[in-house]
Amino acid sequence: MSRTSGLEPRLSEGDAPPARPQSKSFDWAWIGVTPFLIYAIMFLFLPSASIFVRSFQGPDGGFTLQNFATLFSRTDIINAYKTSIGISVLTSVGGAVFGFLLAYAVVLGGLPRFLRPALLTFSGVASNFAGVPLAFAFIATMGNAGLVTRLIESWTGIDIHASGFTIYNMWGLSIVYMYFQFPLMVLIMAPALDGLRSEWREACENLGGTYSQFWRYIAFPILMPSILGTTILLFGNAFGAYATAYAFSGSFINLVTILIGAVIQGDVLYDPGLGNALALGMIFIMLLCMLGYAWSQRRAARWAK
Amino acid sequence: MKQSRIWSWIILIIGIFYFFLPLFSVFEFSMRMVKDKYTFQAYIVAFSDKAFYENFGFSMLWAILTIIVSLALIVPTAYWVHLRLRRIKPLIELITLMPFVVPAVVLSFGLIRLYGKPPLVLTSSPLLLIVGYVTLSMPYMYRAVDTGLRAIDVGTLTEAAQSLGAGWATILFRVIFPNLRVAILSGVFLTFAIVMGEFTFASLLVWPAFGPYMEEIGAMRAYTPQALSVVSFALTWISIGLLQRIGRGAPGQGQIAGTR
Amino acid sequence: MSERERLPRISRRDFLKLAGMGGMAAYLAGCAPAATQAPPAAEDLLSSGNSIPMDKLLPAAQGEGTLTTIALPHDWANYGEMIETYKSKFNMKVNELNPDAGSSDELEAIKANKDSKGPQAPDVIDIGVGHTVTAMNEGLLAPYKVADWDTIGDDVKDPNGYWWAEYYGVLTFEVSKPAIENTPQDWEDLLKPEYKGKVAMAGDVLKSNESVMTVLASGLSRSGGDIEKAPEMGLQFWKEMNDAGNFIPVIADQGKIAQGETPLTIEWDYLSLANRDALAGNPEIEIVVPQTGVVAGPYAGGISAYAPHPYAARLWWEFVMSDEGQLLYLKGYAHPIRFNDMVKRGVVPQDMLDKLPPAAAYEKAVFPTTQQLQDIKTYITENWRKVVFGEG
Repeated sequence: MSRTSGLEPRLSEGDAPPARPQSKSFDWAWIGVTPFLIYAIMFLFLPSASIFVRSFQGPDGGFTLQNFATLFSRTDIINAYKTSIGISVLTSVGGAVFGFLLAYAVVLGGLPRFLRPALLTFSGVASNFAGVPLAFAFIATMGNAGLVTRLIESWTGIDIHASGFTIYNMWGLSIVYMYFQFPLMVLIMAPALDGLRSEWREACENLGGTYSQFWRYIAFPILMPSILGTTILLFGNAFGAYATAYAFSGSFINLVTILIGAVIQGDVLYDPGLGNALALGMIFIMLLCMLGYAWSQRRAARWAK
Repeated sequence: MKQSRIWSWIILIIGIFYFFLPLFSVFEFSMRMVKDKYTFQAYIVAFSDKAFYENFGFSMLWAILTIIVSLALIVPTAYWVHLRLRRIKPLIELITLMPFVVPAVVLSFGLIRLYGKPPLVLTSSPLLLIVGYVTLSMPYMYRAVDTGLRAIDVGTLTEAAQSLGAGWATILFRVIFPNLRVAILSGVFLTFAIVMGEFTFASLLVWPAFGPYMEEIGAMRAYTPQALSVVSFALTWISIGLLQRIGRGAPGQGQIAGTR
Repeated sequence: MSERERLPRISRRDFLKLAGMGGMAAYLAGCAPAATQAPPAAEDLLSSGNSIPMDKLLPAAQGEGTLTTIALPHDWANYGEMIETYKSKFNMKVNELNPDAGSSDELEAIKANKDSKGPQAPDVIDIGVGHTVTAMNEGLLAPYKVADWDTIGDDVKDPNGYWWAEYYGVLTFEVSKPAIENTPQDWEDLLKPEYKGKVAMAGDVLKSNESVMTVLASGLSRSGGDIEKAPEMGLQFWKEMNDAGNFIPVIADQGKIAQGETPLTIEWDYLSLANRDALAGNPEIEIVVPQTGVVAGPYAGGISAYAPHPYAARLWWEFVMSDEGQLLYLKGYAHPIRFNDMVKRGVVPQDMLDKLPPAAAYEKAVFPTTQQLQDIKTYITENWRKVVFGEG
């Protein structure tokens, strides 16, 4: 008996077993990922779902949209989002630009070969160097009694802080954030730059193209999805940063993560409904990032192997 | 090309300045423990604190457990998805990116609320902590393994092994794992670094891990915490350097991405 | 036999196996011995809230063997020695949870471990007095009146014994020499231009009791002692500090003080004095109690209602509130709550008294009531960003 379109396995009527294996093998394949999916559901989805649910809870536990209304009405919350997004844009673009330049310098820039693994391994460490030690390191460098401050004062007699210059604002924090943004960009772009085949460069030369034309018409278009994707990753990285910001200036700089911390961990401002709504807002923004990242990765995959 | 080389050097030097100046400031401060002199006193004091070794040991133990659980969970899954279930690869990737998206503070509160009450009381054993760590390191471990898998031809290797009569266990442990050695190692190292430095989970769940210890002495002492952060930076750099050496030339040389 | 016919039979066998195992498990679970009930007498002993005499308390506590504490840094009011003495004197073990925890973290730890009697559940807590309201509202405390109950002032304890103050300190200016040439004597001095970029708090206003008290104290100075107006005027003061650039928005700690980033920190006296000792002149620290606006910040002790080691907890408090324990606080520069009573009885060694700032400074210390503290905390945390940083 011939099989039908193959949509339903018909094993009945005492037929000989069909020539091709049934979709049973597809079932078994799903079992392979079952442990992972169970884990994800138990320890990722459910706790995150609780965020979603609780953001609709008022202080008495009843359903309310009040938390979201507060999100859009309180100026300090709006400012928190503004500042967080501001720092994230600043450090992701800045991090992407300089990180790219660093990666380029070391991969294609004609520098001694040993510098490449040195920079890559250093970047591996630096991208994890965050929180209290990083905050202290920058305060010890650029703060009121920092090393650089003291050196400048002893060399030129100028007190850079006298005119009101301070590192304790969005700009200072951005400089601190760069410490883990640059390395992340380097780590991701170095292999991508490596992937620029020399054949393409030679082909371009053969056709009479200059170096800058090579970059403008060939290299950048190829690299752009990776660059864009990594920039988005950097954005998410900065947006979610908490330990470094808190260690640097406590709640004195108004960021969303800091606000969530104060609302969930504090006790006067204790408002879990609001905290969860804030977190949901954050997650929403991050999801947009992730979607953008996924899209750009798909474009980048066109040029892989 | 010559012009670009000058620019490369300029960029590099700016980079070196930016990265090493803060490190040097911390180092300089850590040497100032004895008044008006530069000595290593802070380092001696830091390493004579019994709690340092206790907390470090605890975190190391949990790091190893986390790594084992993480490997057991992620490597077979990544392998399987790569081999047989390509279609749901984007879904799996999205799942592994979730811990990146949800803030750690919120995730840990969610875990405590869900699993701190009967019938699933997990808060009285380090189980929940390990769960938290595995979840936090998931994006990096998966990424590392995925990069490794992309670099080797998984399908061909598997078919070749199968045609020689290997069962799944043999394939996984004697064919796939060795080829993923570098990728796995880089994931292992990242997980190790993450667990050792992790603070949020451990402090919320109140366990004597290294992260909270560093926080505590950072808040209560001067000079010794700075000495410790210099040492931990150096140690991590050396370790990753060693890893780099071991993995030189092996297939699947993956990236080493990091946290914030 | 076709495949299909074989499968169900295997499943049925497996199913029976599973059912059998499930049944056995249910049976065993049902047979598990009921949790041992404490003998009725002991229950009364614990729930009455009265002091348990040492001859009964000590063996009961030693039977439990361990005490779980939380949020007791060793350098804070000499808790290090307090814990060590408890261990050696009564032959007990102490399981110390997160020393860095804040008052709200401690309450959270009790809540999170309500049903688990594991090592993560704290037995005793030490929280800001303002937090006792929350603790009581959520039923997190068990009542207990120590032997010396009556010598504790009525305004710093709960009449039913749910909490009581253990020690207090006052806010001081911790001045780093030679970075600061002229030591300020009072709050208004801090606004002087010579202190530009030099003044810091030791905590985060939205989370730390100490910082909220800092704002209150400055307000109290401005309002001339009127506690009703103090929070508002305190916020105004810090707004001016921020606008003038004198206030550094950084959380000071020993590291930053030593490094020089925060040469003028406002901290509890016992912390400033402990810092001075720890830094041992590198740099030199001078400590001043402001002339006006002196706020006392008592910390309250309590027993968790869900404590896994109730007797050990009560033993701890008998020890801490005894003369011996209170003197240990004094050694750590914190004023024990029974200070006046002890001085009257002449139990305080003179050399200890000499190490503290002059007693005259403490005479003006104001002790806000719990209700006042609650209201003050709410007002200051809700309006901090609005007033000082100009955000709606």
